[in-house]
Amino acid sequence: MTDVTRFTHGSRIPGWDDSVDPNKAPAGIPDLATTPVPAELREEIQAEMAKYPVFRSALIPALHAAQRVHGWCSPEAIEQVAAVMGITPGEVAAVATFYDMFETKPVGTQTIYVCTNISCSLRGGPKILEAMRAAADGDADFNIRAFECLGACDMAPMASVNGEFVGPLAESDCAQIVADLKGGGEVLAAKQLRVRPCADEAGRVDGGQTTTSEVTQ
Amino acid sequence: MPRPEHNEITLTIDGRDVTAIDGQILVDAARGGDIEIPVFCYEPKIGGPVGACRMCLVEIEGIPKLQTACSTPVKDGMVVHTQTDRVKGAQQSVVEFLLVNHPLDCPVCDKGGECPLQDISYGYGGGKSRFIEPKRHFVKPLGLSPLIAIDRERCILCYRCVRFSQEVSEDHQLVLLERGASTFVATFDGHPYVAPFSGNIIELCPVGALTSRAYRFRARPWDIEGSGSVCNLCPAQCNVTFTVRDDRVLRVLSRDHDGVDDGWLCDKGRFAYQATHSDERITAPLVRDGDQLRPATWERAIQVASGIARHPGAAAAIVGGETTNEEGLLLGRYMRDTLASHDIDSRQGGALSAGVLRELARTDLQATVPDLEFAHTVLLLDADPVDDAPVLDLRIRKAARRNDTQVLVASGRPTALDARAAVAVRHAPGSAASLVLALDSALSGDHGAATNHATDAGSDLESINALADALKTGGEDVVIVWGERVTDGAGGEAAAKALVNISTTLGLGTREGSGLLELPRGTNGRGLREVGAIPTAGPGLSNPVTVGRSTDQIAAAAAAGEVTALWFLHADPTRDGRNTEIWTRAMASAGLVIAHASTLSPELAEHATVVFPAEAGAERDGTITHPDGRIQRLRKAIGSPVDVRPAAAIIARIAEVGSGVDLGPATGPAATEAVSAAVSFYAGLTVDEIGGRGLRWQDRDAATNLPAGDLNGESDAPVPAASPNGALRLGTYRSIWASPEVELSPALKFLSRRPTVELSPVDAERIGVIQGQNVDIGTGTDALRATAHLRSDVPAGSVFVESGLAAPGNLPSEGQLIEVSKA
Amino acid sequence: MSAILFDRIDEPGLNDIATYERRGGYEALRKALAQPREGLLEELKASGLRGRGGAGFPLGMKASFIPGADIDKYLVCNADESEPGTFKDRELMQKNPHMLIEGMIIAAFTVGANRSFIYIRGEYVLQADVLEQAIAQAKAAGFLGENILDSGFSLDLVLHRGAGAYICGEETGLLDSLEGKRGNPRLKPPFPANQGLFQGPTLINNVETLATIPAIIRMGGSEYAKLGIENSAGTKLVSVSGNVQRPGNYEIELGMSSRDIIFGLAGGPDEGREVKFWFPGGSSSPVLTAADLDITYDFDAMAKAGTMLGSGAIIVVDDSNSVVDVALTLASFYKHESCGKCTPCREGTNWTVKMLQRVQSGEATPMDLDIIASVQEQIIGNCLCVLGDAMAMPVGSLVAKFRPEFESHIEAARERNGLGLTPPPASEEPVLSL
Ligand SMILES: Cc1cc2nc3c(=O)[nH]c(=O)nc-3n(C[C@H](O)[C@H](O)[C@H](O)COP(=O)(O)O)c2cc1C
Ligand code: SF4
Ligand code: SF4
Ligand code: FES
Ligand code: FES
Repeated sequence: MTDVTRFTHGSRIPGWDDSVDPNKAPAGIPDLATTPVPAELREEIQAEMAKYPVFRSALIPALHAAQRVHGWCSPEAIEQVAAVMGITPGEVAAVATFYDMFETKPVGTQTIYVCTNISCSLRGGPKILEAMRAAADGDADFNIRAFECLGACDMAPMASVNGEFVGPLAESDCAQIVADLKGGGEVLAAKQLRVRPCADEAGRVDGGQTTTSEVTQ
Repeated sequence: MPRPEHNEITLTIDGRDVTAIDGQILVDAARGGDIEIPVFCYEPKIGGPVGACRMCLVEIEGIPKLQTACSTPVKDGMVVHTQTDRVKGAQQSVVEFLLVNHPLDCPVCDKGGECPLQDISYGYGGGKSRFIEPKRHFVKPLGLSPLIAIDRERCILCYRCVRFSQEVSEDHQLVLLERGASTFVATFDGHPYVAPFSGNIIELCPVGALTSRAYRFRARPWDIEGSGSVCNLCPAQCNVTFTVRDDRVLRVLSRDHDGVDDGWLCDKGRFAYQATHSDERITAPLVRDGDQLRPATWERAIQVASGIARHPGAAAAIVGGETTNEEGLLLGRYMRDTLASHDIDSRQGGALSAGVLRELARTDLQATVPDLEFAHTVLLLDADPVDDAPVLDLRIRKAARRNDTQVLVASGRPTALDARAAVAVRHAPGSAASLVLALDSALSGDHGAATNHATDAGSDLESINALADALKTGGEDVVIVWGERVTDGAGGEAAAKALVNISTTLGLGTREGSGLLELPRGTNGRGLREVGAIPTAGPGLSNPVTVGRSTDQIAAAAAAGEVTALWFLHADPTRDGRNTEIWTRAMASAGLVIAHASTLSPELAEHATVVFPAEAGAERDGTITHPDGRIQRLRKAIGSPVDVRPAAAIIARIAEVGSGVDLGPATGPAATEAVSAAVSFYAGLTVDEIGGRGLRWQDRDAATNLPAGDLNGESDAPVPAASPNGALRLGTYRSIWASPEVELSPALKFLSRRPTVELSPVDAERIGVIQGQNVDIGTGTDALRATAHLRSDVPAGSVFVESGLAAPGNLPSEGQLIEVSKA
Repeated sequence: MSAILFDRIDEPGLNDIATYERRGGYEALRKALAQPREGLLEELKASGLRGRGGAGFPLGMKASFIPGADIDKYLVCNADESEPGTFKDRELMQKNPHMLIEGMIIAAFTVGANRSFIYIRGEYVLQADVLEQAIAQAKAAGFLGENILDSGFSLDLVLHRGAGAYICGEETGLLDSLEGKRGNPRLKPPFPANQGLFQGPTLINNVETLATIPAIIRMGGSEYAKLGIENSAGTKLVSVSGNVQRPGNYEIELGMSSRDIIFGLAGGPDEGREVKFWFPGGSSSPVLTAADLDITYDFDAMAKAGTMLGSGAIIVVDDSNSVVDVALTLASFYKHESCGKCTPCREGTNWTVKMLQRVQSGEATPMDLDIIASVQEQIIGNCLCVLGDAMAMPVGSLVAKFRPEFESHIEAARERNGLGLTPPPASEEPVLSL
């Protein structure tokens, strides 16, 4: 576990060396009249805003939505969120840059978080990260990030592949994951968290096989 | 709303008994007992404590963990230790941590010598550092805006600047990005931090991370001296300290005055000092020679100006807002007593009768600036403080944020406080008077009249009722902030009476914290009125012997040849763009045009006969009167250029040379005494009594000398709002940045305004323009070309054109219909 | 042993309301709604349940701090679960979401809150989806919304997904985050019970804490209190991970021996490996060693051993690992997750990482270990929230307990680097100097 410079994802230093561009206008609250926002995104954000007693609470959900639409929290995405919510893009950016899941640089569409925190690194997490990077082989569509504990140390070393938790991973699984993603199918179906049984005897059900899936409404 | 109560308690700090106010923050209580607790992030001006820097940790008996003194309210009997080993250990730790990433570049840091981090490291640090890792290094300094430089290496993340942006100015532009040790102060996507109050963050920053680009490396603390005065650029009259080095102003700092500015300045007040030393400033008298104005000797300039004596009964004076009480009084005397002219005005929109003015000046109806903060309700009537008296915008925001004050807005143009408003009502531009009449009727339950006035105002009964209800139910303490433009035009007198009536209905006169607060257009609008620089009243708002002409009437009379000499004391009526054409004709036909100015508009350059260089703010002496009646002193911080003389001395000299009269003391304390002798309710006031903090005349015994008002005179009805028929209703606004000082100051030049027109998206679509395109306002050769700025909150049917520009075009009066077309 | 939270949790379809109700779900809610609020509060107090999120504050007492006044009050479920080594809430929410929802409705009814939120970490996509469906089912069944089961009580429940920040597990950081801000912790006082979400009184509890409430109501508080031992009542989910053979969540009665958990339940380290040290309550707890394995697993015993039960996450590190690596991994995590608001944590974590990097690469001396130790002491107790302490305490304990290993590591690394006579080889990936 010594050979990885840890938490490169935590060192998004860009910005520190940047001056402002005096030719830009000050970034006040964007007016919806002059800031086009895709109708669906706008409706989704407005629906989120309606859920809370104070609309500002919808900012993180709004950023999730904007990131889904734009692929990352681009300045344009941030301005759109700001316009719909009636706050400044500065406030939106302040929040977007605070949280790890918001991408503030353009990234690929396949998001893989490889856990490199304690329990995973005790079981080879950093090696998995390396193997995953090797498997993706520089494909710009793959956004592979070292990540902090994802709350699945029981399946260490593990990764979150487009939100699906898989583990325990062997280095050889990485190629499979990349292939599965490219093929557009299920990722490592047998190693998904949703089929992992409870470790505690009391949790088991005779003959039962746990699978968390959709329920009928 | 009741002001907080103050109960005294006693606590023990380091074994000493300290008397403090119950609930006071420990840091402040300790300071009151002469015990210093070091702080970085604590700054009560900004808001509540954040507990970020951890510099203020102290030991409080009974609490096991060290506590932050900046967030601890004191209680009776509390026992505090600030000198124990534990506390010292914590202080040394925090200093060591702060210096981990702080570059030790004090010798090249602009803050050196006046830096809290330097002082605290020296006073409370361990004196050595064990940090041997390479320090972080970044490019520096970087521009944060054209006014402010940021050095991110030096930032200690005290949160002050970003809190200011979120919690004081509420512009929400300056934020923290990233997190943890990567956190940095920045704006969105490299946009500059440009906002009316941005400069305050320079003063707030406890290290050299935020510095003034205009001041950087101009001086060290030991090279400079501070000179207290008052900013004379707008009616807010913030208290300032000029930083002076070698008789030049290098910087302006706030001189915290709770009764006036609450410790803040706008960027115009902070940076426009540069105009003082601008090469473009006029610093010698100019006299017309053919079609040119040429520098002339003082004798010659006075000689030419003295020609005014040959226009008895046909001379008129326009007095600009920055004129002092002394100058206004002197010029009024000369005009009235010697030149037998009553045509003197310091207002732009038409005159109110002396009786009504006295009624509006009633001491029981006068709200103060601190009243804004504690009112239950603040109603803005066709006023947008951020442009009209910027620092008051912050005070109202503070009230709304900290005291839940209800903000109500009724205005033509959307205001900066709309977002804070419980009710915001739009009236047609120029129809504020009808709106006030409607509100008055609605409050007294006359719905028929209210409906008619509301229609005249381009509004409706429902909106007016919403406003009236909010006023009635929002709590007893109501402050009505009204813009001078409410009383413009035909219905002005009626609107003023309605204002008094509204105050009576709401009982404002009976409550300490309630009342009216007018925002005049000019800095000293109130003082000039009170010393008699208006056509309808003599000094002390006395009934005039003869009522003279108002500004518009003077223009018309001069254009018609009835007025033959014009005196512009710190005024240039062509600059605001209203009736420019008449004024140009007026100046052209006048035989003599005297001006006092620092810069010349094209019209003045073409038509002035003699121009006297005006003193800059830091060069002036005299008194001005704040909109709430506080008389404040302008005090000379630096000497003027050799050929710049006080306007009062010039007036006195012209009177002497032209008419052979002695007007009495023109400058110095004696001139102020002349003012207090002339204005009955200022009686006995001396410069010593005014002192450094000023005082409100209403708080002195002489206030009772204010003669009774009179509401029984005739008044005309306002003109009903025009209904847009393809052409749009014209509204104008004057931005905080629309002033010659901004154009003259190198640092502020980037803010100089260009013609802009604000359109509703609906009208823009109809006309076929999009954001940023050019439009023509008006038709033919008179048309003004301006950039379209689309705003959802501009009501369809109205446009708002920026005024107060160097090349303002020629616009009809507010409220008239005007063609707007794609250029 | 009586399983309360994990009882047959793998039953297929338990996340469906029909299965949950068939197993007696939402009965506790009916029972609770028929009782006066004071009675419920007494049950919670009698249960002796201490918060399962980390601080171990008694639930009943916290709930009793919520003022009775008729104002807007809030209930927030802390499902941020980001403490390294902790994954118990995940399994609960994923497999038995209705138990949490039922617990929340009872808690909200008890304190008179009409709006509630589950703040779930954004990475838990599956669990959030499950909860969203479960909430919709509960709404459709009339357990949420207006006038629940004709009791006159109304409750709105919103699932709020976070976006990746450990500090949003800290209750006040969570509240700021839930208000749409950066997740910076707030000064306390005021405590959330007085001024929390949107400045209103707010009860904020961990998933496990809230999910236990239906059992308490069903059994009665004093009956529940019989589980576990004094001062550590009830059952607890323990997440065991790291170098053990059967990592996973186990429901235990508090007071069980730690050895039985680590070896008995989780199987202990691989054949031939020894326990070198273990974190008893998540990565923020000071470590214990093999010598401490017989300490019982409960709040008081852990406190007595100088550490804490924390979130109930045991991370076992065996003797194949270097203590230096673990210390650096740990410190880097906290450095990355420090919100940056207060000085000692922001600068202290940052500085500690830099020093540990030098220790690891052999550019340090034993004197640096003294500085590392003293920097940890300078952090502890001086921060705004306890994230700073959460690094300083375990790192401090590692340096104190394994100093010889640190020293020999430095020695060995220096030797590899030629005793510093030749410059050390440049590391391949440049470490950004920050
Ligand atoms: C840095 C930090 C992270 C925390 N993370 C969590 C968390 O992920 N989940 C949680 O329930 N409590 C977490 N806590 C504890 C909470 O602050 C709080 O004590 C807890 O949610 C209260 O719930 P309980 O009384 O039910 O335990 C954290 C505390 C700190 C200081
Ligand atoms: S720039 Fe200055 S005021 Fe702003 S956070 Fe940094 S040190 Fe504080
Ligand atoms: S201790 Fe760390 S995480 Fe907590 S407030 Fe301070 S900087 Fe933020
Ligand atoms: S350490 Fe990897 S999931 Fe927890
Ligand atoms: S001054 Fe108290 S924490 Fe900063």
